[in-house]
Amino acid sequence: MTAALFIAALVAAAAVVLAALPFLRDPSPAADRLERQDELERRTLELAEERDRALAALKELEFDHRTGKISDEDYRRLVGPLRVRAAETLRALEPRAMVEVPEPPEPPPPPDEPAPPEPVPEPYPPDEITPPVPPLIPEPGPSESRR
Amino acid sequence: MAPLGRAALLVAFGCLIYAALAGGYAAARRRRRLALSARNALLAAFGATAVAAAVLVAALLRHDFTFAYVAEHTSAQLPARYRVSALWGGQEGSLLFWLLVLTGYSSIAVLAARRAGQDLLAWVVPILGTIGAFFAFLVVAIASPFHTQTAPPDGLGLTPSLQNPYMLIHPPLLYLGYVGLSIPFAFAMATLLARRGDEMWIVVTRRWTLVAWTFLGVGQLLGAHWAYVEVGWGGYYAWDPVENAALMPWLAATAFLHSVMIQEKRGMLKVWNMLLVVLAFCLAIFGDFLTRSGVINSIHSFAQGKVGPWLLGFICAVTAASLALVFARLPLLRARTRLESLVSREATFLYNNLLLVALCLTILWGVAFPLLSEAVRGQTVTIARPYYDFFLRVFGLPLLLLMGIGPLVAWRRASLRALGNAFLGPALLAVATGVVLIALGAGSSRPGLIAYSFSVFVLASIALEFARGTRARRSLAGGSWPAAFGSLVARNRRRYGGYVVHAAVVLLAIGIAGSSAYQTVRERRLQPGQSMNVAGYTLAFQGTTEGQSSNARELRTHLLLSRGGHTLGSIAPGKNYYPAERSSSNEVAIRHSFLTLEDVYVIADQIDAKSGAVYFKVLVKPLVNLIWLAGAVFVLGSLITLWPDAREERRLAARYRAEGALVRV
Repeated sequence: MTAALFIAALVAAAAVVLAALPFLRDPSPAADRLERQDELERRTLELAEERDRALAALKELEFDHRTGKISDEDYRRLVGPLRVRAAETLRALEPRAMVEVPEPPEPPPPPDEPAPPEPVPEPYPPDEITPPVPPLIPEPGPSESRR
Repeated sequence: MAPLGRAALLVAFGCLIYAALAGGYAAARRRRRLALSARNALLAAFGATAVAAAVLVAALLRHDFTFAYVAEHTSAQLPARYRVSALWGGQEGSLLFWLLVLTGYSSIAVLAARRAGQDLLAWVVPILGTIGAFFAFLVVAIASPFHTQTAPPDGLGLTPSLQNPYMLIHPPLLYLGYVGLSIPFAFAMATLLARRGDEMWIVVTRRWTLVAWTFLGVGQLLGAHWAYVEVGWGGYYAWDPVENAALMPWLAATAFLHSVMIQEKRGMLKVWNMLLVVLAFCLAIFGDFLTRSGVINSIHSFAQGKVGPWLLGFICAVTAASLALVFARLPLLRARTRLESLVSREATFLYNNLLLVALCLTILWGVAFPLLSEAVRGQTVTIARPYYDFFLRVFGLPLLLLMGIGPLVAWRRASLRALGNAFLGPALLAVATGVVLIALGAGSSRPGLIAYSFSVFVLASIALEFARGTRARRSLAGGSWPAAFGSLVARNRRRYGGYVVHAAVVLLAIGIAGSSAYQTVRERRLQPGQSMNVAGYTLAFQGTTEGQSSNARELRTHLLLSRGGHTLGSIAPGKNYYPAERSSSNEVAIRHSFLTLEDVYVIADQIDAKSGAVYFKVLVKPLVNLIWLAGAVFVLGSLITLWPDAREERRLAARYRAEGALVRV
């Protein structure tokens, strides 16, 4: 019984110490605020997701075309808008664009006629999954949300 | 040691309450150190729960009958392995086990989710803390496994049907599945509370959902095999409410795993995905309610207790709070794209989701209606097997077909000409299969015939996908065919692992169709020396013997099995009598054919000790072994899908590098 109570006290003490650890380690921090997405980060992430989606869609389209699921005609009709979308998101993620904090582009509706190919280089080889690393984004400057 | 167990549970409860309250305050007020403190409390809760569980397991192993739980669920003769499995064999122990898994999962999740932002994790902790605090409250105040008493000379023993090796693994796997669904739920709700509209929560919880779903799937298959070999009624799934309780969250999670791909690829179905996560989690808790409340008369409802109303109240509270949160955050969940065509891969995913959810809700209604009827009108109503079989055919067969259609359809939109080209081969094969089966006399069951034809269609489309993909891969990168095949799967594990899982479902469908639609059943009372014929087999009854194991008296009947004049061997169905538990169990005999995948399943239903006559029930079940083979293929597919993909990791790292400081957690 005594041993049980002793172990129980140890368990309780360990739990209290573990929970108090952040305060014990850092009793008077310079800042005690949780990081939170600011508007710039939110938009950046939305754009990065949109970029990944567009690049992945291009990759899927290429693969579907290569495996014969998509006819040449369908491929030509679909690839243009996808390239436009990928280009827009890549452009929007460029440092100069990010300063203006644009809204993520709305995807263009699929045109009736085959769209002319945009003068955009292939985002990445169709069978590769790793997209190009986006341009570096400038630090948004001192913010309350950052430690 | 009971005081230690009680104290450890109290510590765990206190930690979880702290994690919920302090964590919630820290997340709302953005207090960094308090949020970390709450997270640490969650970790401490796991440690304290592990101590409590260790105390109970030690008591079970030591036959410490001063623990009421040990006396009620074990006996002095019970083998050690079943004394350990008694941890989840009773209500109080199973709730403790649930809490242990939950706090363990929670600890791993909050430590491993390094990609998630601090704001997201700060909300995950109080949500998991709240769920944990509820279950800790149950084991502290409502159903404690640490009640003590004056030790009786022996315990009551474990229910005989639970004294089976499957019980060592089937319940823990189900629990790992049920409880695992808490993690995606917590991250989904945290995303809404943190007012984030991005897909970080999906990235972080993708593997958690897959792991929980795999555990639930494998747990159910093992449960089905346990029912098949142990319960002794000749089947593997009886649409028992507690079996359905595991199936429903699995179906909801299956729908979620498909629809979440649409969100990832197209940014659509955000609200739907949130609702599916809530549904899967609530159904998991509902499963616990069905098993542990005692409201259902089932062989699985071993425990009758006071936890039912609490679990029901918790489900209602979680459902109401989650739905309110989803609706409050609807603007965040607005989709930026729309479905371009009703003939596209994403459209087939949508149809698949509708069918899965429809099947899930139909089963839910079948489970809930008798409860509601009894509660509201005082009338006992039973929803029988034909109800479930009907809806399984109505929703299941189109689902099966969609598994074959989906891979052949392109994303975004597909032209009818391309579809025609893609479908031609698999469709011709399916039709040819149907014709051959009719010619072979398999037309007696229309659903069975349709299931077989659809199965061939799906298998052909999967094979075609692998073949076309490998050819495309080889034309791009060169190399040998096996290398191209390996590269194809390695470069898109989710897609091709998913196809392997689809193949498992097809095997399951063929096994179910074969063993139910085309099975043969004969019953006959035999005296020693007599024989009976079933589906080409002859069973000659030779006599009865009696033996003794450590905790049971074993009565066995001996039958000589032959086919076409060739002796296949001897089988010995019988019964076990457990004196400590004052009950008996059917011990069936099964003869597997690895060539035809068929089973001869024999039950010695009634044994007349005086005359020596035995009432036998014999079932011949074609292709039933495909069901168990499907389990192995299912695990293989899940493992392929779960296997880490370095390219995917790099892509995600690039995405979250763009987000900057939020990656640092």
